[in-house]
Amino acid sequence: MMPDISPNLQAALADSPHYEFVSSHLSALLSSYPPPFIFIHDPESSRLAASVVRSALQDLASQPLVTDTGLTQLKFACVNAVACFSARIIYDTALNALAGWTPDWRDGATNWHGTGAEARRFNENFDAFVHGIQAVVTEATAANAIVKANGAVKDKVKQKEGEAAPNCRLVLLVERAERLKDNLPELLVPLTRLAELSQVDIITVFISEVQWQDIRPPLRASPEPYYIDVPFLSKQATQDLLAAAFPSTPPGSSSSVVDPDAYHPALKPLYADFIALLYSTCNPFTHDPTELAYITAARWPGFVQPVLDAHRSLLSEDDIASTPRDSDGDDGDNQRELQTPNDDMRLRLLRLFTPSLTAALESLYPRLSNATHWARVHAPPSDLLTMPREGAPNALAAQVATNAARLNGQPDRPTEAGIDALPRMAKFVLVAAFLASTNPARSDLRMFGRGLDERAKRRRRKMGTPRKTKPGTAGTAVKIPQRLLGPTTFPLDRLMAILGVLLEENDADVRPVAPQYTLPGEYTEMEIARVALYANIVELASMRLLVRTTPPDHLDRVPMFKCGIGYDLAIKVAKSIGIILNDLVYEVV
Amino acid sequence: MVLDSVEIRTPRHLLSTAKRSLGSPTPRGSARAAPLGTPRLPPASGSPSKRNVPRPPSSTLRQRELRTPTPEPALPPPVSPTRDTQKAGAATPSKRQRNHVSQRTDGLPRDLPEDLHPLLVRQKRAILKSLQQPPEIDEITVYGEDYPPTNTAAYEQLSDLLTGSVVRGEGNSCLLIGPSGSGKTQMVERAIAALPAKPIVVRLSGYAQHNDRLAIREIAWQLAQQTGTSFLPAESDDTDDEDAEPPAPVEQGPETVVHDDDEDEGDDEENPFIEHAPAASSGTVIPMITLPPPSHLLALISMIPTLPRPTIIVLDGFDLFASHARQALLYCLLDTAQACRTVTGSGSGMAVVGVTARVDTINILEKRVKSRFSGRMIRTACPTSLDHWVALAKAALCTPLIGESAVAQDDEEEWAEIWGKAVESFVEDEGVMDALRDVYALTRDFQIFRRIMTCLTLELTAASPYPTLKMLKAAISRQRCPARYPPLHTLPYPALCLLVAQVHAQTSGHDVFTFEMLHDAFKRQVRASQAAPVQLQGGGVGMAFERLVDLRIFAPAAGPAAGIAKEFALHRSAVDRAAVKKAVEQMGQMSLRKWFTKA
Repeated sequence: MMPDISPNLQAALADSPHYEFVSSHLSALLSSYPPPFIFIHDPESSRLAASVVRSALQDLASQPLVTDTGLTQLKFACVNAVACFSARIIYDTALNALAGWTPDWRDGATNWHGTGAEARRFNENFDAFVHGIQAVVTEATAANAIVKANGAVKDKVKQKEGEAAPNCRLVLLVERAERLKDNLPELLVPLTRLAELSQVDIITVFISEVQWQDIRPPLRASPEPYYIDVPFLSKQATQDLLAAAFPSTPPGSSSSVVDPDAYHPALKPLYADFIALLYSTCNPFTHDPTELAYITAARWPGFVQPVLDAHRSLLSEDDIASTPRDSDGDDGDNQRELQTPNDDMRLRLLRLFTPSLTAALESLYPRLSNATHWARVHAPPSDLLTMPREGAPNALAAQVATNAARLNGQPDRPTEAGIDALPRMAKFVLVAAFLASTNPARSDLRMFGRGLDERAKRRRRKMGTPRKTKPGTAGTAVKIPQRLLGPTTFPLDRLMAILGVLLEENDADVRPVAPQYTLPGEYTEMEIARVALYANIVELASMRLLVRTTPPDHLDRVPMFKCGIGYDLAIKVAKSIGIILNDLVYEVV
Repeated sequence: MVLDSVEIRTPRHLLSTAKRSLGSPTPRGSARAAPLGTPRLPPASGSPSKRNVPRPPSSTLRQRELRTPTPEPALPPPVSPTRDTQKAGAATPSKRQRNHVSQRTDGLPRDLPEDLHPLLVRQKRAILKSLQQPPEIDEITVYGEDYPPTNTAAYEQLSDLLTGSVVRGEGNSCLLIGPSGSGKTQMVERAIAALPAKPIVVRLSGYAQHNDRLAIREIAWQLAQQTGTSFLPAESDDTDDEDAEPPAPVEQGPETVVHDDDEDEGDDEENPFIEHAPAASSGTVIPMITLPPPSHLLALISMIPTLPRPTIIVLDGFDLFASHARQALLYCLLDTAQACRTVTGSGSGMAVVGVTARVDTINILEKRVKSRFSGRMIRTACPTSLDHWVALAKAALCTPLIGESAVAQDDEEEWAEIWGKAVESFVEDEGVMDALRDVYALTRDFQIFRRIMTCLTLELTAASPYPTLKMLKAAISRQRCPARYPPLHTLPYPALCLLVAQVHAQTSGHDVFTFEMLHDAFKRQVRASQAAPVQLQGGGVGMAFERLVDLRIFAPAAGPAAGIAKEFALHRSAVDRAAVKKAVEQMGQMSLRKWFTKA
């Protein structure tokens, strides 16, 4: 199984005293008399807990456990319920891992199928899976027996226990188990009852961010698990964990972004300070160590770059001068080693880079950008520390701007870029669609009615309006503006009507002269009857800027649409074609 | 060892006598209140007056007797403090325990790490092992003579029935009904393991075999597994011998498969190509497994009585089989069993044992199925009195060590005594009794008891080697009803803001909300108060919303629809106002609290 968090963090996790509770409980259970079903709940980050559990299992599996019935070999399989979205994938993944079988491309990538006469497919259904588990146990005990028979000559001490077949204990670890409930609900109960169904020594371990109560199948179909709750990761623990993840050996093949010296051991104290600063910046938004590690990986190379630059320039000065200057270097004339930066430099760096941490959080936590690209864009200028103190922050910002321009990476949202390129008519359609989706249909006449009797109508309506009550006092709920509840659907006719009004008021003046249209509004009528407009609408629907809610294969029905853009974007689009949107929205924001 | 067991037994007999005189548990509670005032007594529990008074003198006396021969000069000092603390410690049990511990570790600085730590580890293992099965409790001592011990009677009934099938070739059917955790499955396994002859056991589960097709395939497979080997005479003897050795309920399927495979491998080494033909004894059954024609359903089941050995079919989740189409499998099985009974001597016996927790299972059987069912319903029960639980706890905790080596006999005796005392004072603690009573009032499931005791046992470390009330309470809170959500104040700040916004939406009459609604409220609040964190555009709020949905704090109020954008999907909150209030107060942010109080 592919590790989904970096090996450094994994190692740090395995050593972390914070997760000691989980791993010790689990190891104690698995090496003695475990309950058949264990549920590990980590509300914070189940990936970390899964990593801890995996390393604990690896420890246990590395040597046979001593139990009362002799030695027991532990085998385990990790199944991620996100990756294993179908029953067969779960079966095959679990059996391959339990049997220690790696599908090979040259064999046609077959799954484990047992050996000898028992060879068959084990992924047909749950019963076949259970048979597969039994076959795994059989094979393992047979193999152990052979090993034992070979080794038994040497140690006679264990001979007595060796009479009984050496045991094999299996562990099936299911990560993100809450997904099972949605994807494979029929598998949930049998997996939790695996031990009694297969009649072998197998323990099912679920790891989830969701409590078992939310996964539990109805009618008590599953046995209750033994609960292990991962304690909440405190501030200090998180910082220690991240600081411990500082690579002990510098990464061999570094990309062009990361300086090879960026993870020099001498920088470790600075790294701890950096982590503390990062944590305090990001803490209100996330304290997930994996997210923080991701942001760290993006920011740290740029953060230490000035230090490394300063060191390099010192080295080159040394090379030029070739006479050692003892004034600013402690270590005389030999090759200068990279040193831990002094307090002044450290404070300066931290102050300089604090705003960029916020920027990193903003774009990296929701993954609006990726770490490599972000690090490239935010690489600091090469001589940052030699700059005057006042100018440095500006220089940093300027460098980011030039980097961004050079890399031609627009970190803005792609939808906006696409919308700028839309044809003018499509923008009108979008605005009309937004209005049609947001305004109630009965307000159309009031908003867009431009007839002669407009005044009379308004008066009559006003007279008919009941007295307004203060919202929320009449016992009914406060009315929520439609733009917060989401777009409503509208028929194509209504879109066309609103579009006609918009075009008549905002577009008629700039059209080329067409003397053949004499009646007022006739030119606009002509415009909205063009095939190109319908093509535009279809195209917008294919871009999901309009959402078609009726199936497209019916000719006879009126097609219904919904607006696919939000308020902010609609305002922008409207502005670009000279419409003041707020005048046309029924409920003013 | 002998002394140890005596020490355990004494109070139990006393307890039972006290129990018998006092009757039902409710008056016992009131009787318990009286001796609380008596100052110099050890903490009373259950029905204290009779069973506790004679205890301390005898134990200390015996302790002194035991301790004097041990050669260490450092030993006597810790004895007196323990006795004193035990006598005086009615006030705070946990503190007393800690005193006890510290005294002990102080008194024996070099002995504990060397000798007793491994003993503690062994004790933990022994306890965990004993928890695998409910410890054997003499039910008569707990319930009195006139009370019928349900599970014992059920076991006798069941084993009589199975013996009838196995020995006399009867066709039997019965239903084992009892709440979960009352020992149904274990009783079946125990009864099967205790049978004089070795039957074919087919285990089906309604949870795995969702329809009759799967069930029939599984029957075919299991029959092939077990009869395929027993056709070979030499090997069947072998398996019988093997299986007779371990007393525990043997794993039927794998056990036989082991020998099958061993045989195969032995053959393979001799002649890998030719010897595959005998292996076809299992090979011939494979086609039967892979394609069971539906028309053979009856045929397969009706041939069960013609097998050389009697067959026991265990149907776990019996009520689920009743939901299969036309209850065909049940009909066939029960019909065969019944026919087997009428035509006695035609073949070997057959027993169908249904296991279920559903009380009205008999009513959901169709008439034709019901008429073929013998109607025998055996009931199991969970412990029906608190004393039973306490006895279980004591028995589990006081599991004697498994003698590993004869070297450390002295240590073992010393440990047994120390441990016995620790358990004794633990069980007699008033708070412990209350905690157990709380759990017992909620559920009588043995499983939860086992989880609590497992958790308690795992908590024992060299630093705090004795069970305490605090540990028990922690274990109970962890295992009985773990908190549904993580503590809300540990959520990120935007998530908490969303929760507050949700409370606002709720007070304005909208139980169902969209992300945009909450976000809008949040933005307005930020604009009004200028006191929120600066980032709004970064998606932090959206991420927080998704996090809340992931944690099931916000639950979707409608199914996912294709046309609805994520920010407009309707959601509902699973936490109430009070929980949010608590979280806001714990968070301690002034602006957040102000905003919350506006709702």
